[in-house]
Amino acid sequence: MKKLTTAEYSTLNIVQKLLYNIWRFLCAIPTTAISIGKGAWNGIAGFFKGLGFEVVDTINTFRKGDWKTRVSFFIMGFGNISRGQILRGIMLLLFQIGYVVYMILPDLDGLPGGFSGGLYRLKKFTTLGDVVPGEQYDPILDTYIRVDGDNSFDILLYGILTILLCFVFVFLWRVNVKQNKIAQELLAKGKKLPKAKDDIKNLLDGQFHKTLLSLPLIGITCFTVLPIIFMIFVAFTNYGGKYDGYSNLFTWVGLDNFKELFNMGGSDSNLANAFGRILGWTMVWAVLATFTNYFLGILVAMLINKKGVKLKKLWRGILVLTIAIPQFVSLLYVSKLFAANGLVNSFLMNMGWTDAAIDFWGTPEIGRVLVVIINIWIGIPYLMLMATGILMNIPADMYESAKIDGASGFQQFTKITLPYMMFVTGPYLLTSFIGNINNFNVMFLLTGGSIPNPELSTSGGSATDYDLLITWIYSMVTGVTSNYKLSAVIAIMIFVVVATLSVIVYNVMPSTRNEEDFQ
Amino acid sequence: MKKRITSILALLVACMTLLTACTGNPTQNPSGDSTGDLKGTYEITVWVSEIDGMKELTEKQIDAFEAANPGIVINATVEGISEANSATQMLTSVEDGADLYCFAQDQLARLVIAGALNKLGDGAAATVKENNDAISVGAASVGGVLYCYPLTSDNGYYMYYDKSVIKESSLDSLEAIIADCEAAGRNFSYELANNAWYNAGFFFATGCVSDWTTDAEGNFTSVNDTFNSDAGLIALKGMQKVLKSKAHVESSNVADFSAAIPSAVVISGPWASKDAQAALGENYAATDLPSFEVDGKSYHIGSFSGNKLMGVKPSTDVKKTAVLNQLALYLTNGDCQLERFNQFGWGPSNLKAQANDAVKNDPALVALAKQSEFAKPQPQIHGSWWDICKLPAVAAKDATTDDELKAALAKYKTDIDALFEMTEDQKQAWSVIGTVNGTNWDTDFAMEKESDNVYVSKDVFAMTAGMEFKVRQGASWDVNFGGDGQPGGANYIVEADGNYKVKLTINADGTAVLELVAQ
Repeated sequence: MKKLTTAEYSTLNIVQKLLYNIWRFLCAIPTTAISIGKGAWNGIAGFFKGLGFEVVDTINTFRKGDWKTRVSFFIMGFGNISRGQILRGIMLLLFQIGYVVYMILPDLDGLPGGFSGGLYRLKKFTTLGDVVPGEQYDPILDTYIRVDGDNSFDILLYGILTILLCFVFVFLWRVNVKQNKIAQELLAKGKKLPKAKDDIKNLLDGQFHKTLLSLPLIGITCFTVLPIIFMIFVAFTNYGGKYDGYSNLFTWVGLDNFKELFNMGGSDSNLANAFGRILGWTMVWAVLATFTNYFLGILVAMLINKKGVKLKKLWRGILVLTIAIPQFVSLLYVSKLFAANGLVNSFLMNMGWTDAAIDFWGTPEIGRVLVVIINIWIGIPYLMLMATGILMNIPADMYESAKIDGASGFQQFTKITLPYMMFVTGPYLLTSFIGNINNFNVMFLLTGGSIPNPELSTSGGSATDYDLLITWIYSMVTGVTSNYKLSAVIAIMIFVVVATLSVIVYNVMPSTRNEEDFQ
Repeated sequence: MKKRITSILALLVACMTLLTACTGNPTQNPSGDSTGDLKGTYEITVWVSEIDGMKELTEKQIDAFEAANPGIVINATVEGISEANSATQMLTSVEDGADLYCFAQDQLARLVIAGALNKLGDGAAATVKENNDAISVGAASVGGVLYCYPLTSDNGYYMYYDKSVIKESSLDSLEAIIADCEAAGRNFSYELANNAWYNAGFFFATGCVSDWTTDAEGNFTSVNDTFNSDAGLIALKGMQKVLKSKAHVESSNVADFSAAIPSAVVISGPWASKDAQAALGENYAATDLPSFEVDGKSYHIGSFSGNKLMGVKPSTDVKKTAVLNQLALYLTNGDCQLERFNQFGWGPSNLKAQANDAVKNDPALVALAKQSEFAKPQPQIHGSWWDICKLPAVAAKDATTDDELKAALAKYKTDIDALFEMTEDQKQAWSVIGTVNGTNWDTDFAMEKESDNVYVSKDVFAMTAGMEFKVRQGASWDVNFGGDGQPGGANYIVEADGNYKVKLTINADGTAVLELVAQ
């Protein structure tokens, strides 16, 4: 089916229009996928091209360089110092000395202030430790004491840090080489090189953003990037359960954990099934939670905004009250409200509407609906506030001209309000969808402690019908099995799902595709 | 371009500092230069139950310990963490855990495997054995070795009920109690589907067993489990009577006595006695669990009887470990246990404290004692069992036919067996099992291969005449030898006291020779 013109499109009836739109959407998928793939490929190719350029440039620098430059290849900062850029030179040199000393230090663990060197750590990193902790008996005090051995956890962590340091070294070495090249070129042109005073002045002036950003950058590296890298590495070890790294060392197992999750030779045949079902419910939940909140929030905002509605502030105020109470409290409270012996059941029975208590949370079919409804209750106020602002921004003359043209209320909504809202809130919709995939609070506080579903029991422990991937991970990590390895694998899977969805949705979103449409 | 170098360098210096700052803790040399003099100041962390007042009482008791041991100064940080959580937190990171902590017995094996418990010295072990009841000593041991100090002997459960609802004549019959609850519109709180600790009582009622064996390090080697049997089916049918009742609430919380739909019966333990008393007032009563009837036969519901324990974290510092052990011994002595009984109703494990009149007449402890006739001392159980054993009860809730129940039990058995999937090496390995080293046919002691078909035990056993043992392969009874050298023959009986290693020589004709090698 080819693309229709606007005139042709308007002759179709509703069903045909719907089919046509679905068809167009499906047609767009391959092209979008190809363009995303191309983008990714360009990115990767560009990276290697850049890398190749750097290598070639380094070799050229050595070939064309004077003796100062050439010595700098081995003693970092030598070129800077010999050309009068003392501060830069000394910092580079200090870094190199620090790096080399750190790398060649032997294992000093066991001595006061013990510290092991980088190469030793990298060697241990290959096996994650081989000295098992032991026990010693002190006959005088009649006491057993621990004799420390390797600690796989520390080895993994410091190994990663050492590898990162090596990357930093390579980068700085390259910077050092490049500086020599630039200095040589500047001197050849007869220009003066910037001195330490100029550097510092520059950092407080022209390059001030870099000074400011250095601290946050360190923070992000330590508290976000490092844990993520660590977690990725854990997915390839047998860390968890008995293998805690402290008393029982863990080690590399390659792709075993992934094979186990996807049922390829793993010992737990139910894991793939459980993963599939929990992922399915996670997606259903994310779609329901996001879109019910979104549309109902807009609807409520429009209702309150409608001309002739009195006490607008009161209605808004009542809704916003939900925000005023911390979710933590209100969710736990509502969870108890619907318990088998809770207020709701007591009310129903006292009124004579039921004669036995309804087990809301014990019946997944009811419980799941309930979770979505409760989520609407706590989610609508946010959407209402946001939508109120945006709705007020839509030019009223658009509605007026639509009315003159004879558009119905519903048509006005689908032709003016919705596209406008979609355009502005597209990115929000995406983030809230992803937020809902990982919506730990609502699910855990409402349904934590529910009865597990036998069909979802795996080597990672049992799971309930309500478990999202994220709460499943939580119960795996904190449950009797302490299954860190499997949770790391699942966390990677969540990332894959979220990343794929984000890339696709972001690329088809009107907000990013037709940026210039919006005035 | 080159101007950013200085800022990058500054950043790197900061990174280096960070890297060196967060390297391994200085570890002290564990050489035993101890002189037996423990005078000094010690910084320790103690985790005790989070209930109101426990922290203060413990601080007071630590002060008393200091007064009794002049020269020892203890700066204790006492924190309230529930017994269930303390083990989980210790296992998450033993290094960061408390030096002294309390936990429920079911966590013992996991804690020993994780290296989170300090073996008791000979003197401390002798004192503990002398002063505490035998069940609690068994509960604190793995492989015949004491790993912690018994704190209570009350970790069992029984029935709290409302005298005004449950008739005196109903107390012995589960069916009558359920009928009373339903007639009064009150609930029956019995945590079955979500807690194996409670639902196992039904299986014990019908004579099912689940006996686990560990090796000396606390790793589980085999299980003799008869839940998947006709008796198990009867147990599930009994459980169904509760699960299918409209009065049933899945909970063991005595707060249910004051819920919106109040419970008339809550199955719980001594820790809840004060709260139950407060909620029920003069209608408060407690007694042993009732019997249920299936096919005209009556079965008294069983239970676990267990202990709360106090453990010392192993450390490399011999003096500190010795002081911690003395402190733990002090905190678990008769007087301290009595103080805990008086304030919180905790039932003592100390024999002298048990003989106290107030303890003997406490209604909750009397109920526990009544139930103890039907209780099974809680053995070391595999951590995953607590998850796996929930599932038959979950299935029983919905099941309508015997076949569904049988399927649930079969799945239970499969899950249990999956815990023991062994490598080929493990299947081939020989071990000694019997009444050696204070164990009772529940611990496999590993043997090492000396040459082809000749195996010798790793440990030296202190044996007394009359002790019995066998050797078996792959921790199963499929292949085993006793004194007569015939496969599956009679036990080897030790003739003379002494320290021996066990030597096994397998002959070509399928028989074997067992010898004791004096050391």
